[in-house]
Amino acid sequence: MTERPRVAFFDFTGCEGDQLQVVNLEERLFDLVEVVEVVSFREAMSEHSDDYEIAFIEGSVVTAHDEERLAGIRENADVVVALGSCAAFGGINAIRNDQDFETVTERVYGDDADMIEANPEARPIESVVEVDATIPGCPIDREEFVQVVTGLIRGVEPTLPNHPVCVECKLEENECAFHRDEICLGPVTRGGCGADCVGEGTHCWGCRGMVDTPSEDAYTAVLEEHGLDAEEIVEQYQLYWGWQRPERATQEEAQ
Amino acid sequence: MSKKEVIDPVTRVEGHGKITIELDDDGDVEDTQFHVTEFRGFEEFVEGRPVWEMPEITARICGICPVSHQLAAAKAVDEIADVEIPEGAYKLRELLHMGQVLQSHALSFFYLSSPDLVLGYDADPEKRNIEGVLEENPQLAERGIDLRSFGQDVIATLGDKKVHPDFAIGGGVTNTLDREDGQQLLEQSEDLDTYVRETIDLLQEIFAEMDDDTLDYATYETGYMGLVDEDGGLEHYDGDIRLVDEDGDLLEEIDDGDYADIIGERSEDWSYLKFPYYKGRDFEDGQYRVGPLGRLNAVDQLRTPQAQEEFERYMDAADGPVHERSTYYHWARLIEILYCIERIRELLDDDDVYDGVPNVPTKPEKNNGVGVIEAPRGTLIHEYDVDDTGKVTNANFIVATTHNNGAMNKGVRTAAEKFVDGPEIPEGTLNKMESVIRCYDPCLSCSTHAIGDMPLEVTVEQDGEVLDEVSR
Repeated sequence: MTERPRVAFFDFTGCEGDQLQVVNLEERLFDLVEVVEVVSFREAMSEHSDDYEIAFIEGSVVTAHDEERLAGIRENADVVVALGSCAAFGGINAIRNDQDFETVTERVYGDDADMIEANPEARPIESVVEVDATIPGCPIDREEFVQVVTGLIRGVEPTLPNHPVCVECKLEENECAFHRDEICLGPVTRGGCGADCVGEGTHCWGCRGMVDTPSEDAYTAVLEEHGLDAEEIVEQYQLYWGWQRPERATQEEAQ
Repeated sequence: MSKKEVIDPVTRVEGHGKITIELDDDGDVEDTQFHVTEFRGFEEFVEGRPVWEMPEITARICGICPVSHQLAAAKAVDEIADVEIPEGAYKLRELLHMGQVLQSHALSFFYLSSPDLVLGYDADPEKRNIEGVLEENPQLAERGIDLRSFGQDVIATLGDKKVHPDFAIGGGVTNTLDREDGQQLLEQSEDLDTYVRETIDLLQEIFAEMDDDTLDYATYETGYMGLVDEDGGLEHYDGDIRLVDEDGDLLEEIDDGDYADIIGERSEDWSYLKFPYYKGRDFEDGQYRVGPLGRLNAVDQLRTPQAQEEFERYMDAADGPVHERSTYYHWARLIEILYCIERIRELLDDDDVYDGVPNVPTKPEKNNGVGVIEAPRGTLIHEYDVDDTGKVTNANFIVATTHNNGAMNKGVRTAAEKFVDGPEIPEGTLNKMESVIRCYDPCLSCSTHAIGDMPLEVTVEQDGEVLDEVSR
């Protein structure tokens, strides 16, 4: 890594909210550009230029062109970072992985549906290229972004918290969402967010993805205890984890 | 005879804008098309999910105005649950919304448009960004940052996050505001009104120095749409939909649930973005504009004193009853920023936002609900059909950028006719084309060109043959 690494941002299918979180650093953005050189915030230079070292990638992969483009970026970058949940593990876009794709496109575009050449599944970038670091979250946490950038500059491999959101709820002294009769994904979701949503009075939606070794069976039992049927439980799991869960299931089968 | 090009989805990149200019046999502009490239299928993938999740899920449609989607969805859920939300919740939602409109407008004006306005359309592209403005006019850039931070802090104080906050839910909001936090926001808002009014003065100087071609390259007649309160005043959170014609005369004023009676939608095979129009007229004459310019043309007044003064000054500058210049979106946007600051202060002075009841319980009572709000970029409509258990069976969204699709295309056409003559695209045209579109602040271009330029491709074609192509 050079002293002031050249950094590029790219977006695929998503809402661009993670890049906005970077803009949301506001005054600190100017500190950031002192330590890195932002050479592209998507468009300032050609995608196929090899003139960047760190590529931050937002959004999930939905077209064949996305795959090619992503492979090109991988070739040019020393370090590829998945920015946000859509890039990291498919995120909310992957809800549709469970739906019939033809129905989806026809309902939106009617007779023009055949002009859509997207893949039937929305996938995380690691399904196409090797990923060096991940910043999950919907949206990303700005502090975590700064930490990862700082780490990369110093040559430290960034690590993610691997405890469930419940741990953070305890530290924040939040009332448990289950006690408020809400269904909460906190027990199996990766922490690091400060349990903001529970603190605000709602519940964890699972936006940071699953922890590495979730106690899914035990958790499913908890959900059953709260009166959810199988379909409703799957619905909970599918909100952000439409890609992540089937993948895990396949891996486990392989083992 | 020139050939219409159908965009190939494979070559398109999310969020890219693409313009095709077609020339006739004499080399004059025959037609132009502004293409949009989004396909995410949100309307579909919410199907089958509980409607209570909609405020949370639909916020993910857009990272720039998640609050707008959250609020429109929450209003639709209120209808499905057949509840009146408590007074405090109503005001807190408006407060959240004002923070959102403020931050989004500040991003649009100070971060995205001020580089063109302050440094000039022909300035070195490397300088034409917020960093360049920071060098040229540091005070302006810093004030822009302060204004945007304030809007973001209002959102973060209520929703705990600046993007995708967790606040509006069916039946109300999650929490009331702490007095201490409210006090802090009030203190933070000091001087901000002055900043905006001085920026409006600065904008007048900039307009005065602009040549007519630049000021008027996207001036044309359309209708205008916006929500109004019961006195015909500007309203962003809750009101009737008003549509006025090119002379500012009333065409429709309807309950927001009846939107489908007046708005029709047409698809074109060269863009994923649909084209809405006013059903009372044919497609061509039924075009209307939304967003700051559309709203200020549609309303009679603004209910906060400083914004009302600026509104009067603005309307006095019009040649007729309405402003037709797309460039005046910027002016209208600044007046709305001022309005937001004043409304935020009024709401923070209201006991209900601290002591009110945050929400009422909800359960499915009806099978349909509509939520309409004025998002920063214009009228945003969410409609859901649900089954008896509250699962979504059908969803329809009309987002602000869509309403302006026809107008943006018209603007691009007007600009092309003015600046393109023959097969080659003259220097600087790309940025002018882009700034027509940028007046409307469309979502497709929003966050990423905060640092840098909007990705844009302009193609000139004759008989289907590409004569010139410029992109970045």
